[in-house]
Amino acid sequence: MRGIRYALQHSLVTKVILSTVLLSLGVVWLTGSALYSRLADGIRSTSLNSSLAESRYTFFNAEYQMLVSAGMSVAERKRVLAEFVVNTSTQGINEERREVIFVKTPGAKKSTNSYEMSSNIIQTNSIPVDLREKVQKNTKVQYGYAVATYNNGATVDSLFVGKKVRIPTGGRYEMYIVFSLKSQSATMDLIKNSLLLTGIALLLLIALITWLVVRQVVRPVREAARVATQFTQGDFSQRMKVESVDEMASLANSYNEMAHSIEQQITRLEHLSRVQQRFVSDVTHELRTPLTTLRMASEVIHNQRNSFDPLVARSSELLVAQLDRFERLLEDLLEVSRFDAEVAILEPVDFDVISLIKRCAKDFDIASDFTTPEIKVESEHDSVTIKADIRRVERIMRNLLSNALDHSEGKPIVVTVLSTDSEVGIGVRDQGPGLDESALIRVFDRFWRADPSRARVRGGTGLGLSIALEDARLHNGELDAWGRPGRGAHFVLTLPIKAGDSINARPIKVTPKDFHQENFPI
Amino acid sequence: MTLIMVVDDDQDLAEMLGIVLTSSGFDVDLVSRGDEALEVFRNNPPDLVLLDVMLPGIDGIEVCRLIRKESMVPIVMLSAKGETQDIVRGLEAGADDYMQKPFRDKAELVARIRTRLRRTHTDVTGLLAIGDLSIDVTAHEVRRGANVIQLTRLEFDLLVALAKDPGRVFTRDALLSEVWGYRQTTDTRLVNVHVQRLRSKIEHDAEHPEIVMTVRGVGYKAGGTA
Repeated sequence: MRGIRYALQHSLVTKVILSTVLLSLGVVWLTGSALYSRLADGIRSTSLNSSLAESRYTFFNAEYQMLVSAGMSVAERKRVLAEFVVNTSTQGINEERREVIFVKTPGAKKSTNSYEMSSNIIQTNSIPVDLREKVQKNTKVQYGYAVATYNNGATVDSLFVGKKVRIPTGGRYEMYIVFSLKSQSATMDLIKNSLLLTGIALLLLIALITWLVVRQVVRPVREAARVATQFTQGDFSQRMKVESVDEMASLANSYNEMAHSIEQQITRLEHLSRVQQRFVSDVTHELRTPLTTLRMASEVIHNQRNSFDPLVARSSELLVAQLDRFERLLEDLLEVSRFDAEVAILEPVDFDVISLIKRCAKDFDIASDFTTPEIKVESEHDSVTIKADIRRVERIMRNLLSNALDHSEGKPIVVTVLSTDSEVGIGVRDQGPGLDESALIRVFDRFWRADPSRARVRGGTGLGLSIALEDARLHNGELDAWGRPGRGAHFVLTLPIKAGDSINARPIKVTPKDFHQENFPI
Repeated sequence: MTLIMVVDDDQDLAEMLGIVLTSSGFDVDLVSRGDEALEVFRNNPPDLVLLDVMLPGIDGIEVCRLIRKESMVPIVMLSAKGETQDIVRGLEAGADDYMQKPFRDKAELVARIRTRLRRTHTDVTGLLAIGDLSIDVTAHEVRRGANVIQLTRLEFDLLVALAKDPGRVFTRDALLSEVWGYRQTTDTRLVNVHVQRLRSKIEHDAEHPEIVMTVRGVGYKAGGTA
């Protein structure tokens, strides 16, 4: 049943064939039964007419026998009558046996001689009562249909034809001739079966024809669907075949035009992307080489600063610092343009994320002066091995930690690591000034700063968080931010244990555990 | 004096590298074209080659391959492109190390050069055996039976680092620190490419290594004797 429903929903051929067959079934049924009833009526009336004609002749013959036997003795008359009954019942046009019955009309004058008799062993009470009444009231030939019952229990559909007769010395009698309808109903059955068979054959033929016709229409549709699917899957060279000039061909032509146009667009975009990639690569090369020279030159100068006068010495310091910043900005910009050109490549390896975080935290500790707050790393496990691009994960951690340190105002920073079977969550929580609603929306925007007037302690490029977000997404991970004014901020990185898998849950909620809504309504 | 050949088409950078290296006590040979590099190399064999990737004539990677064909001299590639494939191509062509422009500072450059020049494993002497290889650390020689296997100094160092402690698993980071002298980096491609190169020289079948074994998710170990 489910299979049929599925076929109906998914196959046009099944649907069309089934509805055609159902409709044809109705038509065949109607025409078939009309034809059958016409034929049946015809056969019945033909056979009735011939039966009546024969009956009339038989009745006349019977009456003639009566006249002849007028002068006979009772026994002789009975013999004549019996002979007549036997002769009549065996002689027939269509060699079909007929029965003859003589019954005494009830209520007639009592007679000592009973001429009641019947051919064969047909039971007289199978003569329908209403026919008998009609016969008794009329002098003309009457008829009716009924089931004749024989003494051996057999029942046969029959035509009863009756007439009043007078038997000398016997009084009023009714004479019935019973025609068996056996052959007639056999004919009817034959017609019925033929009609049924023809109907079934017709339906099968219709189904077959429909199937052939529909297939002609559906085959190109299927072909079109296949081509479109392959096109969707990235095979842009797929085109539909145009083999005729019909509607299917015009559909194919339109489709092919569309595919061609899409292919062109994609080729153009791919070209643009390649140009962009090339440009990025060229800019890298062209800028990096002079920057290398500049850095080394500035370092040579910087190393000699003790022999300069204070203004030149300070200038050399600024030169070195700004070259650092310039370089970081260049690297970040190049990374951003790689993301924009979608040429950033993931290079996943297996590594322990906890030791990576600890190393990053330690580097910040070493690099920092005495004002730098402590970074605490909290985790359920000693190590959590993930498969990810280690350079990118390290860059995310450095960006998050650097961002937290910039805004921590000397308060400790807590890094929490929680993992499930399929994902790992890393939360970086600071207790700085926090972020308000409008800031949260823009926190991952490029070059956006929470407070432009704030000193750029660490000299971030303003691209760090935006790159971190792209790095996280490249792994199919997520980076979420939470913040409340005066309550610090919480950045949560969620990565799949295996880069590229989808993440189904967030082991760490972005709202930090130490924050209670009821204590601090928004 | 230690001679360093600098191959870079950027005149200013080459000059600057010359100033820095000279001030650190090296002799410097400057070459500006790729197709000239090999001739200069043959005429005056340096102790180390600093090689830019993009060069006029023939590119740095091809130069690297050509030098490697005839010498085991340490080669450090200078790359202005940060793209992985360039770095890997350079390492596969036979470079021992690479430096990405711009360098962090002069000290980094000099430190890398000194690491590549120094004699490592002064703590290990004599003979080591691993698998069917015998390693003469003092003579800087690796033999399989009577055959001497030619290894670059870096490949030799990598093999000794693993072989002196057979069965111990080294993480890629540990190898980077031990062999390349990096204190903090996460670029494991360096290790991967060199392990491949080393295997292609010392293993019977580099696809099924028996001497330098991979420990999945951790790093490498030397097997064979255990």
